[in-house]
Amino acid sequence: MAASAAGGDKFTRNLVIGMVALVVVVGASFSYFGSKGSSTAAIPSSVSAADGYGIVFNKDVKDVPTINIYEDFQCPVCARFEAINGPTLEKVIADKKAKVVYHVLSFLGTESILAANAAACASDEDKFLAFHTAFYANQPAENAGAINAEFLKSIGVSIGIDSPKFAACVDNGGYSDWVKNVAEAGAKANVNSTPTVFVDGKEIDRNTDYFNVEAFAKVISKK
Amino acid sequence: MKSLQILNTKFGPWLGLLSRLTLGGVLFAAGWLKLFHPAKSQMAVRAYELLPISIANFLGIVLPWLEVAIGLTLILGIAVRFSAIIGGGLMVVFILAISQASLRGLSIDCGCFGGGGTVEPGQTKYLSEIFRDAGLALLALYLIRYPMTRFAIEKLDRTVTATADEIEKE
Repeated sequence: MAASAAGGDKFTRNLVIGMVALVVVVGASFSYFGSKGSSTAAIPSSVSAADGYGIVFNKDVKDVPTINIYEDFQCPVCARFEAINGPTLEKVIADKKAKVVYHVLSFLGTESILAANAAACASDEDKFLAFHTAFYANQPAENAGAINAEFLKSIGVSIGIDSPKFAACVDNGGYSDWVKNVAEAGAKANVNSTPTVFVDGKEIDRNTDYFNVEAFAKVISKK
Repeated sequence: MKSLQILNTKFGPWLGLLSRLTLGGVLFAAGWLKLFHPAKSQMAVRAYELLPISIANFLGIVLPWLEVAIGLTLILGIAVRFSAIIGGGLMVVFILAISQASLRGLSIDCGCFGGGGTVEPGQTKYLSEIFRDAGLALLALYLIRYPMTRFAIEKLDRTVTATADEIEKE
C-alpha cells in the first residue's frame, strides 16, 4: 500500500516536472520568435543591414571615424544626451567629419516601437535628424499612452513633413519588423544601456564623455 | 527535545507554507515583470559580462519563463522539493553573479524585476540585492529539508502527520 502510493506520487511528480519543462520551452520559444528579426522586413532607404540596420549618415565618406549611437526614443537619459550633444552631431554630419549610425532600440516597450517606426518614416523624407530632435524636445512620459499615431504625425508636421506617404507610414507601422531587426542587431552588439555610443567600435567613457559637450566633441573627432 | 519535535511538526508546515508563498511569490513576480520584455531581459543578463553574448541572450529569454513556472509550482505546492531546489539554485546563481559584478566594479542594475543593464556609477544596490537573494535561498533550503507544507496540492505525507499525532498522544 505504502509502496504503491509512493510510486503514484513519484509518477505525478515527474508529470508535473515534465509539464513545467514544457511550459518553459514553449514560453521561451514564444518570446524568441516574437522578438526575432526578419531578413525580409521592409527597411527605410537610409538603412544599412551591414551597419546593424541603423540609419546611416555619410555612408561613403572615407577616412573619418564611425560613430554608432544606440538609443530608445522613450529613454529620458537619451533625451538629455540629445539636448547636450545633438547640435554637435548634426554639425559633424553636415561637415562630413564622421560616419554616424543611429540605432533606434525599443526595449522600453510598444511605444518605443511606434516612435522608431515613425522615425524611419521621417528618414524616408530625409528628415530623420529633424524628427529625432523634435521628438526628444517633446518626449512624453514612458508608456503613458501619449506616443500614438496622432502625436507622431504632429511631430512630423512641426518639422514640415506634410506628405500623405509619411502619415500612411506612421499609421501602418510598416517598419515595425525593421525595428525588431535593429533590436536583434543591438543585442548581438552587446548594447546594455541607452544611450550607448561607440566610436570606431569602442564605447566612449560613461563616466566622462556622455554628458559633457566639450568631452563628447573631442572623443568623436579623434581618429 | 520532545517538545521541540512537537513544535516543529505542529508549526513546521505553516512555516513551510510561508516559505513557499514568499519564495514562489517573489519568483513569479520577478518572472512575470520580464516575460513580455525579452529584449530588456536579454540586456539585463548581458550586462553581467559573465557569459558569451549568444548564451546571455538565450538565458534572457528562458529565465523569466523558468521563474514564472517555478513560482507557480511553489505557490500551488506541487513538486515542492524539486521546485525549491531549482528556486534555491537560481538564488545562489544570482548571488554569485551580483557579487562578481560588484567585485569587478561593474555598474549594473540586477534586472531582477525587469529593468537591468548598465546604470550610472554610484547607482548600484548590490548589497541589498545580495541580502534579499540570500534570505530567499534560506527559505528554499528550509523547503528542501521540510517539503511537506500546509495548503499544498501535493498531499501531506501521511506518515509525517501520523507521527505528529503519536508524539502528541504520548
